[in-house]
Amino acid sequence: MKSHAVLLPVGADPTISFSVSFAIGSQNDPLGKEGLAYLTGEMLADAATEKRTLDEILAALYPLAASYGVRVDRERTTLTGRTHRDNVDAFLELYTDAFLRPAFTASDFERVKSDAINDLENTLRYSSDEELGKAAFAEFVLRGTRYAHPSEGTVQGLKSITLEDVRGFHRAHFTVGSALPGIGGGYSDTVAAQLQAAIQQLPGGAAPAAPAIGMSALAGRSVLLIAKPGADASISFGFPIDVHRGERDFYALWIANSWLGEHRNSVSHLYEVIRETRGLNYGDYSYIEAFPEGGQRSMPPVNVVRRHQLFEVWIRTLPNDKAVFALRAALREVKALVDHGLSQEQFELSRTFLKKYSLHFAETTFARLGYAMDDRFYGIDGEGHLVRFRKMMDELTLDDVNGAIKRHLQYRNLKIAIVTGDAEALRDALVRGAPTPIAYDTPKPATVLAEDREIAAFPLEIAAERVTIVPVESAFER
Amino acid sequence: VEGIIPFPTTTRTLDNGLAVIAMPMPASGLVAYWSIVRTGSRDEYEPGRSGFAHFFEHMMFRGTERYPAELYQKKLAAMGANANAYTTDDHTAYHISMTAEDLEQVLDLESDRFQNLAYPEVAFQTEAGAVYGEYRKSRTDPMFTLYESLMATAFEKHTYGHTTLGFERDIAAMPTLYDYSRNFFKRYYRPENTVLFIAGDVDPDRVLPLVEHYYGGWKRGYVTPQIPAEPEQTGERRVAVAYDGQTLPILWVAYKLPAFAPTDRTRVAAELLAELAFGETSEAFRRLVLDEQVVELLDANVDDHRDPGLLDITTRVKDPAKVDYVLGVIDATIESVREAPPDPARLADLQKRLRYGFVMGLQTPDAVAQRLAPFVALTGNLDGVRTLYATYAAVTPTDVQRAAVQYLDEARRTVGVLRARQ
Repeated sequence: MKSHAVLLPVGADPTISFSVSFAIGSQNDPLGKEGLAYLTGEMLADAATEKRTLDEILAALYPLAASYGVRVDRERTTLTGRTHRDNVDAFLELYTDAFLRPAFTASDFERVKSDAINDLENTLRYSSDEELGKAAFAEFVLRGTRYAHPSEGTVQGLKSITLEDVRGFHRAHFTVGSALPGIGGGYSDTVAAQLQAAIQQLPGGAAPAAPAIGMSALAGRSVLLIAKPGADASISFGFPIDVHRGERDFYALWIANSWLGEHRNSVSHLYEVIRETRGLNYGDYSYIEAFPEGGQRSMPPVNVVRRHQLFEVWIRTLPNDKAVFALRAALREVKALVDHGLSQEQFELSRTFLKKYSLHFAETTFARLGYAMDDRFYGIDGEGHLVRFRKMMDELTLDDVNGAIKRHLQYRNLKIAIVTGDAEALRDALVRGAPTPIAYDTPKPATVLAEDREIAAFPLEIAAERVTIVPVESAFER
Repeated sequence: VEGIIPFPTTTRTLDNGLAVIAMPMPASGLVAYWSIVRTGSRDEYEPGRSGFAHFFEHMMFRGTERYPAELYQKKLAAMGANANAYTTDDHTAYHISMTAEDLEQVLDLESDRFQNLAYPEVAFQTEAGAVYGEYRKSRTDPMFTLYESLMATAFEKHTYGHTTLGFERDIAAMPTLYDYSRNFFKRYYRPENTVLFIAGDVDPDRVLPLVEHYYGGWKRGYVTPQIPAEPEQTGERRVAVAYDGQTLPILWVAYKLPAFAPTDRTRVAAELLAELAFGETSEAFRRLVLDEQVVELLDANVDDHRDPGLLDITTRVKDPAKVDYVLGVIDATIESVREAPPDPARLADLQKRLRYGFVMGLQTPDAVAQRLAPFVALTGNLDGVRTLYATYAAVTPTDVQRAAVQYLDEARRTVGVLRARQ
């Protein structure tokens, strides 16, 4: 196998994981055709090939309990699959056919397109306010850039896409130069060579040049309220950061962020303040890397690589009349982190936690292969992110961490997105900036009540003209 | 090594009734430590107490005298443990994934909270807010909305009629139930109602004496809940739900099915029947999803339960005018499986799929525990799951047809339809 493939042999693993990552993503969607990369990916992973109809493919995969699927993200389209090694020959033919010989039938296209539109119009807008809030935040903070629209596209973008568009996009971009193959688990050299040979059958051509993203710094605080009748409040806020896997500052910032808001974990300080002490919602977390499907997963995703990242705080659903208080509580904690950094004790706790917790990031061969593929994107395929991560937990000092906080985090210039059933009242409260005290049904310690008074009066600094209300039915429309 | 599970297991029951299963497997130094309590929302038989098992799961993180909540969390953090819990109809599981060197510390922490849980009333009331928050984040999901109504319609007496989150009115009243929560702990959090499942980098000879040491003093005292039996259903039930928001219509068809019975070939065949009739290689799937494209999802499922449950078929219909048409296709499909046994080749493919699917799922200690915990909860050991997979392999086309005739009877079903309100 040629050296550029990612190889992760694990002899004891009776399964084999495959990955082919194409250097094409939703950032490459032509203007007005948002969703083209997504539909193209779906037409590879969930559609007929020249040899088989989709129901024939499903029937062939069925007894193997094997499957392949696609993730289309901003930068990459990644086709992954997994099979038991007993069945690798049958599987490999189906898997490689998916990207070498897609049939692009009209019937599959109609189905895939209609599912994608439904995903935006119904599922994203209505079925989970939390996912809606996070997607609305990403669109708001990245507006005007190639990263702004959801990877699935926009409703009007999807509607304008034709099967010819998909064919053309595929022909232009799914080339040998754009593909990075990877294989992990209990595979033989023959199987690895077969995958590599398949890649060589892709049309010639280089990876497309990555477009400029057009990210610019934020000034002041702006708010997007997604008005959705009957909804409780789901809040996300943050700003772009320019720090990436592999960089020393990234790991330093990870320690700080883990202390502030480790995902789905009670070590999160935001969780402690908003949920554990006050019982306002189910959880409160923060991020320095894109973390899609946060409601469903507990560990960071693979195959989600970005040239630009966001610092993001996620406040899970709470009653509308507590929304401003919770937002203030979170802003106040971010400010405290920026102003004072971590203490020695907090630093020690956080890095000790992460050193072992990071063992859970990639327990499976499939996840480890994903990390190794992602390492190529970030240019750290020597030792790789996971090894460097643990090394950095030993190396970094409190000064490194507090320095990284100062260099990358702030609390004055940010965007806030809130899904709410009470948009007008929320806008008024945010703009007025008057204290928003909360009452509890049950007694609280004096220390909590004293802190509540500070939270309730925490400065919001939001100008009236910086608040926009958008009805949910127009979110992700174009 | 025995049956479908490719790893050796050592099982022991302490004098107090606590069952322990230790399963060494390749794990890169990790251990999954699961405490499986055989109590879930099924046990919420008293009026006004729906959702309590799930709420109580939250309270298990609120500390003991020796390890108050903050200290417990700090200790887990120092281990870099990945710890959480969940509640289902039939069980509640507390799971920790950590390195092998921290195993004894985990035994100390977990045995302490299972025996000595002690939280103040204020913490109890605060946690009720977090539980309400969990309900808030779920209630906008149209699937959840329909599921809530469908279960309430299908089960008139039995506690499966409410979801694990509970009725909203009961969630709102939770802060007042502190005394009841202490009682709940005393009744159900007992050794004879709990199974420890420890998988990964673990030596049974070393861990079993440690379990004895830490849990040996835990006192028996389980009180059997008075769960009402569901009367035989004798006529089709229908429920229509209006959804506040946009959604494609969802159609949910649910047939009553006997409780988990891994030795009963007909009952086990019902699981294969659901998959053969509506799974992704079925005629119904080809027609509705791929060819006519009238639905964008078709799924059939049997959830194994301790008491009689459901075989259900779920689908999302693209055109609101075609809900009845889709129900007609489902009916015709059911008619055909009642009339003739399935193609033996398709059954063989499914049997192979089940075997490979099971083995492929056993990737990490935590994944193994997650896979096996529901079966451990159903039967208290691993015999049930071993028998189930042996029975899967023995099912014949005639068994499948018999299951269809026996269970897919219109008089024993509930049909739920959810549509956008406007």
